[in-house]
Amino acid sequence: MIFITGPLFSGKRQAAMALLRWSEEELARRAVWEVEERAADCPDLPALARALADYEVVIASEIGGGVVPVDPAERAYREAAGRLSCLLAGEAETVVRVFCGIPTVLKGRVP
Amino acid sequence: MMTLVVGGSASGKSTFAESLVLQRGEGPRIYVATLEPLDGECRRRIARHRAMRAGKGFETVECPRNVGQTEVPPKSTVLLECVGTLCANELFGSGGGPECALTAVLGGIEALNRRCGNLVVVSNEVCSGGQRYEGDTLTYLRLLGQVNQALAKRADRVYEVACGLPICHKGGRPPW
Repeated sequence: MIFITGPLFSGKRQAAMALLRWSEEELARRAVWEVEERAADCPDLPALARALADYEVVIASEIGGGVVPVDPAERAYREAAGRLSCLLAGEAETVVRVFCGIPTVLKGRVP
Repeated sequence: MMTLVVGGSASGKSTFAESLVLQRGEGPRIYVATLEPLDGECRRRIARHRAMRAGKGFETVECPRNVGQTEVPPKSTVLLECVGTLCANELFGSGGGPECALTAVLGGIEALNRRCGNLVVVSNEVCSGGQRYEGDTLTYLRLLGQVNQALAKRADRVYEVACGLPICHKGGRPPW
Protein backbone atom coordinates (compact mmCIF):
# COMPACT_ATOMS: atom_id res chain seq x y z
CA MET A 1 0.00 0.00 0.00
CA ILE A 2 1.14 3.54 -0.77
CA PHE A 3 0.18 6.10 1.84
CA ILE A 4 -0.09 9.69 0.60
CA THR A 5 -0.39 12.57 3.01
CA GLY A 6 -0.01 16.34 3.04
CA PRO A 7 -1.97 19.48 3.89
CA LEU A 8 -5.50 20.12 2.65
CA PHE A 9 -5.72 21.29 -0.97
CA SER A 10 -2.09 20.38 -1.58
CA GLY A 11 -2.79 18.21 -4.65
CA LYS A 12 -2.57 14.73 -3.07
CA ARG A 13 -4.95 12.99 -5.47
CA GLN A 14 -3.38 14.69 -8.50
CA ALA A 15 0.05 13.59 -7.23
CA ALA A 16 -1.20 9.99 -6.83
CA MET A 17 -2.51 9.94 -10.41
CA ALA A 18 0.71 11.46 -11.74
CA LEU A 19 3.01 9.13 -9.76
CA LEU A 20 1.11 5.98 -10.69
CA ARG A 21 -0.06 7.15 -14.14
CA TRP A 22 -3.65 6.44 -13.16
CA SER A 23 -6.82 7.95 -14.58
CA GLU A 24 -9.49 9.43 -12.29
CA GLU A 25 -11.49 6.27 -12.82
CA GLU A 26 -8.57 4.10 -11.68
CA LEU A 27 -8.03 6.33 -8.67
CA ALA A 28 -11.67 5.99 -7.69
CA ARG A 29 -11.44 2.20 -7.96
CA ARG A 30 -8.00 1.56 -6.44
CA ALA A 31 -7.58 4.33 -3.89
CA VAL A 32 -9.39 5.70 -0.88
CA TRP A 33 -9.10 9.29 0.37
CA GLU A 34 -10.15 11.62 3.18
CA VAL A 35 -9.61 8.64 5.49
CA GLU A 36 -8.93 11.03 8.40
CA GLU A 37 -12.72 11.46 8.56
CA ARG A 38 -13.06 7.74 9.38
CA ALA A 39 -10.86 8.13 12.44
CA ALA A 40 -13.33 10.41 14.20
CA ASP A 41 -15.45 7.82 16.02
CA CYS A 42 -13.36 4.74 15.36
CA PRO A 43 -13.09 2.37 18.36
CA ASP A 44 -10.10 0.46 16.92
CA LEU A 45 -7.62 2.53 14.89
CA PRO A 46 -5.08 -0.28 14.28
CA ALA A 47 -7.87 -2.46 12.84
CA LEU A 48 -9.01 0.44 10.65
CA ALA A 49 -5.45 0.99 9.42
CA ARG A 50 -5.08 -2.73 8.59
CA ALA A 51 -8.40 -2.73 6.72
CA LEU A 52 -7.47 0.39 4.76
CA ALA A 53 -4.12 -1.20 3.85
CA ASP A 54 -6.05 -3.53 1.50
CA TYR A 55 -6.32 -0.57 -0.89
CA GLU A 56 -3.41 0.11 -3.22
CA VAL A 57 -3.37 3.78 -2.26
CA VAL A 58 -4.62 5.45 0.92
CA ILE A 59 -4.78 9.26 1.12
CA ALA A 60 -5.16 11.33 4.29
CA SER A 61 -4.88 15.04 5.01
CA GLU A 62 -2.56 16.32 7.69
CA ILE A 63 -4.83 18.14 10.10
CA GLY A 64 -2.72 18.37 13.24
CA GLY A 65 -1.27 21.82 12.56
CA GLY A 66 -2.66 25.00 14.03
CA VAL A 67 -4.06 25.47 17.51
CA VAL A 68 -5.34 22.49 19.50
CA PRO A 69 -9.14 22.89 19.37
CA VAL A 70 -11.06 23.91 22.49
CA ASP A 71 -13.93 21.55 21.71
CA PRO A 72 -13.23 18.06 23.19
CA ALA A 73 -14.81 16.21 20.23
CA GLU A 74 -12.72 18.22 17.73
CA ARG A 75 -9.64 17.55 19.83
CA ALA A 76 -10.34 13.80 19.91
CA TYR A 77 -10.96 13.74 16.15
CA ARG A 78 -7.68 15.49 15.42
CA GLU A 79 -5.81 13.17 17.76
CA ALA A 80 -7.37 10.07 16.18
CA ALA A 81 -6.65 11.35 12.67
CA GLY A 82 -2.98 11.88 13.51
CA ARG A 83 -2.65 8.44 15.10
CA LEU A 84 -4.35 6.82 12.11
CA SER A 85 -1.84 8.50 9.77
CA CYS A 86 1.06 7.13 11.84
CA LEU A 87 -0.46 3.64 11.73
CA LEU A 88 -1.04 3.88 7.99
CA ALA A 89 2.53 5.02 7.45
CA GLY A 90 3.60 1.94 9.45
CA GLU A 91 1.47 -0.39 7.29
CA ALA A 92 2.61 1.23 4.03
CA GLU A 93 5.50 0.06 1.86
CA THR A 94 5.74 3.61 0.51
CA VAL A 95 4.87 6.94 2.14
CA VAL A 96 4.65 10.13 0.10
CA ARG A 97 4.09 13.64 1.45
CA VAL A 98 2.74 16.22 -1.00
CA PHE A 99 3.61 19.90 -0.51
CA CYS A 100 2.16 22.47 -2.94
CA GLY A 101 1.64 19.66 -5.42
CA ILE A 102 5.23 18.43 -5.15
CA PRO A 103 5.66 14.86 -3.84
CA THR A 104 8.46 13.82 -1.47
CA VAL A 105 8.98 10.14 -0.68
CA LEU A 106 9.35 9.70 3.09
CA LYS A 107 9.54 5.90 3.11
CA GLY A 108 10.25 3.19 0.55
CA ARG A 109 10.02 4.08 -3.11
CA VAL A 110 7.35 4.70 -5.70
CA PRO A 111 6.92 1.54 -7.81
CA MET B 1 13.39 33.33 -12.52
CA MET B 2 10.56 32.73 -10.05
CA THR B 3 11.15 31.42 -6.55
CA LEU B 4 8.35 30.35 -4.20
CA VAL B 5 8.95 30.43 -0.44
CA VAL B 6 6.23 28.85 1.72
CA GLY B 7 5.99 28.49 5.48
CA GLY B 8 3.75 28.77 8.51
CA SER B 9 3.36 31.89 10.66
CA ALA B 10 6.65 33.17 12.06
CA SER B 11 8.58 30.33 10.40
CA GLY B 12 11.31 32.69 9.21
CA LYS B 13 10.09 32.66 5.61
CA SER B 14 10.44 36.45 5.16
CA THR B 15 14.03 36.50 6.38
CA PHE B 16 14.91 33.59 4.12
CA ALA B 17 13.17 35.22 1.14
CA GLU B 18 15.04 38.48 1.79
CA SER B 19 18.33 36.60 1.89
CA LEU B 20 17.54 35.11 -1.54
CA VAL B 21 17.03 38.65 -2.87
CA LEU B 22 20.20 39.99 -1.22
CA GLN B 23 22.47 37.28 -2.62
CA ARG B 24 21.33 38.35 -6.12
CA GLY B 25 23.52 41.43 -5.91
CA GLU B 26 22.71 43.36 -9.09
CA GLY B 27 19.69 45.53 -10.00
CA PRO B 28 17.06 47.45 -8.05
CA ARG B 29 15.25 45.67 -5.20
CA ILE B 30 11.51 46.20 -5.00
CA TYR B 31 9.34 44.99 -2.13
CA VAL B 32 5.69 44.57 -3.12
CA ALA B 33 3.64 44.64 0.08
CA THR B 34 0.09 43.27 0.02
CA LEU B 35 -0.90 43.96 3.63
CA GLU B 36 -3.00 47.09 4.11
CA PRO B 37 -2.49 49.16 7.29
CA LEU B 38 -6.11 48.64 8.36
CA ASP B 39 -5.56 48.53 12.12
CA GLY B 40 -2.90 48.77 14.82
CA GLU B 41 -1.88 45.13 14.51
CA CYS B 42 -1.34 45.45 10.75
CA ARG B 43 0.59 48.70 11.25
CA ARG B 44 2.86 47.05 13.85
CA ARG B 45 3.48 44.09 11.51
CA ILE B 46 4.29 46.45 8.65
CA ALA B 47 6.65 48.46 10.90
CA ARG B 48 8.45 45.25 11.97
CA HIS B 49 8.95 44.16 8.36
CA ARG B 50 10.08 47.66 7.33
CA ALA B 51 12.67 47.59 10.14
CA MET B 52 13.85 44.14 8.97
CA ARG B 53 14.39 45.51 5.45
CA ALA B 54 15.97 48.80 6.54
CA GLY B 55 19.41 49.36 5.01
CA LYS B 56 19.01 46.48 2.55
CA GLY B 57 18.21 48.75 -0.38
CA PHE B 58 14.56 47.89 -0.94
CA GLU B 59 12.04 50.26 -2.42
CA THR B 60 8.60 49.44 -0.99
CA VAL B 61 5.49 49.46 -3.19
CA GLU B 62 2.13 48.85 -1.52
CA CYS B 63 -0.18 46.79 -3.65
CA PRO B 64 -3.07 45.02 -1.91
CA ARG B 65 -4.65 43.84 -5.21
CA ASN B 66 -3.88 43.66 -8.95
CA VAL B 67 -0.16 43.08 -8.39
CA GLY B 68 0.31 42.71 -12.15
CA GLN B 69 -0.16 46.44 -12.53
CA THR B 70 2.74 47.27 -10.22
CA GLU B 71 5.34 49.42 -11.94
CA VAL B 72 8.73 47.77 -11.52
CA PRO B 73 11.95 48.49 -13.41
CA PRO B 74 13.16 45.82 -15.83
CA LYS B 75 15.97 43.64 -14.45
CA SER B 76 14.85 44.33 -10.91
CA THR B 77 14.51 41.76 -8.17
CA VAL B 78 11.01 41.80 -6.68
CA LEU B 79 9.99 40.33 -3.34
CA LEU B 80 6.21 39.84 -3.19
CA GLU B 81 4.84 39.37 0.32
CA CYS B 82 2.55 37.71 0.86
CA VAL B 83 0.27 35.56 -1.24
CA GLY B 84 -1.95 34.67 1.74
CA THR B 85 -2.93 38.31 2.18
CA LEU B 86 -3.19 38.85 -1.57
CA CYS B 87 -5.63 35.91 -1.84
CA ALA B 88 -7.75 37.32 0.99
CA ASN B 89 -7.75 40.78 -0.63
CA GLU B 90 -8.73 39.43 -4.05
CA LEU B 91 -11.32 37.01 -2.60
CA PHE B 92 -13.04 39.28 -0.11
CA GLY B 93 -12.28 42.66 -1.68
CA SER B 94 -13.73 42.14 -5.14
CA GLY B 95 -16.94 40.16 -4.65
CA GLY B 96 -16.10 38.19 -7.79
CA GLY B 97 -15.93 34.75 -6.17
CA PRO B 98 -13.06 32.28 -5.78
CA GLU B 99 -12.58 31.60 -9.52
CA CYS B 100 -12.11 35.32 -10.19
CA ALA B 101 -9.72 35.57 -7.24
CA LEU B 102 -7.71 32.57 -8.51
CA THR B 103 -7.38 34.14 -11.96
CA ALA B 104 -6.54 37.57 -10.53
CA VAL B 105 -3.84 36.25 -8.18
CA LEU B 106 -2.14 33.96 -10.71
CA GLY B 107 -2.49 36.41 -13.61
CA GLY B 108 -1.14 39.25 -11.47
CA ILE B 109 1.89 37.28 -10.30
CA GLU B 110 2.61 36.07 -13.85
CA ALA B 111 2.48 39.66 -15.15
CA LEU B 112 4.74 40.86 -12.35
CA ASN B 113 7.20 38.06 -13.08
CA ARG B 114 7.33 38.99 -16.76
CA ARG B 115 8.05 42.60 -15.93
CA CYS B 116 10.94 42.08 -13.51
CA GLY B 117 13.97 39.88 -13.99
CA ASN B 118 13.69 37.92 -10.80
CA LEU B 119 10.65 37.34 -8.57
CA VAL B 120 10.63 35.88 -5.08
CA VAL B 121 7.11 35.08 -3.86
CA VAL B 122 6.33 34.47 -0.19
CA SER B 123 3.24 32.41 0.63
CA ASN B 124 1.65 30.87 3.71
CA GLU B 125 1.06 27.28 4.67
CA VAL B 126 -2.34 27.39 6.40
CA CYS B 127 -3.87 24.12 5.27
CA SER B 128 -2.55 21.78 7.99
CA GLY B 129 -5.13 22.58 10.65
CA GLY B 130 -8.04 20.49 9.39
CA GLN B 131 -11.08 21.49 7.40
CA ARG B 132 -13.73 21.98 10.03
CA TYR B 133 -14.08 25.66 9.25
CA GLU B 134 -17.01 27.86 8.25
CA GLY B 135 -17.74 28.33 4.53
CA ASP B 136 -15.72 31.49 3.87
CA THR B 137 -12.62 30.15 5.59
CA LEU B 138 -12.79 26.86 3.71
CA THR B 139 -13.20 28.77 0.43
CA TYR B 140 -10.11 30.79 1.34
CA LEU B 141 -8.09 27.67 2.24
CA ARG B 142 -9.04 26.01 -1.06
CA LEU B 143 -8.05 29.15 -2.99
CA LEU B 144 -4.69 29.47 -1.26
CA GLY B 145 -4.03 25.74 -1.72
CA GLN B 146 -4.77 25.99 -5.45
CA VAL B 147 -2.64 29.13 -5.79
CA ASN B 148 0.29 27.51 -3.98
CA GLN B 149 0.09 24.43 -6.21
CA ALA B 150 -0.02 26.53 -9.38
CA LEU B 151 2.86 28.74 -8.22
CA ALA B 152 4.95 25.71 -7.25
CA LYS B 153 4.38 24.27 -10.73
CA ARG B 154 5.33 27.59 -12.35
CA ALA B 155 8.30 28.44 -10.11
CA ASP B 156 11.89 27.52 -10.88
CA ARG B 157 12.65 27.01 -7.18
CA VAL B 158 10.32 26.03 -4.31
CA TYR B 159 11.34 26.19 -0.65
CA GLU B 160 9.42 25.33 2.46
CA VAL B 161 10.76 27.14 5.54
CA ALA B 162 10.68 25.60 9.02
CA CYS B 163 12.33 27.30 12.03
CA GLY B 164 14.09 29.62 9.60
CA LEU B 165 15.65 26.72 7.67
CA PRO B 166 14.84 26.05 4.01
CA ILE B 167 13.68 22.65 2.75
CA CYS B 168 14.10 22.49 -1.02
CA HIS B 169 11.21 20.93 -2.92
CA LYS B 170 12.33 22.02 -6.38
CA GLY B 171 15.27 23.62 -8.12
CA GLY B 172 18.21 22.75 -5.89
CA ARG B 173 19.54 24.01 -2.61
CA PRO B 174 20.07 27.74 -2.05
CA PRO B 175 23.50 28.84 -3.28
CA TRP B 176 25.28 29.20 0.09
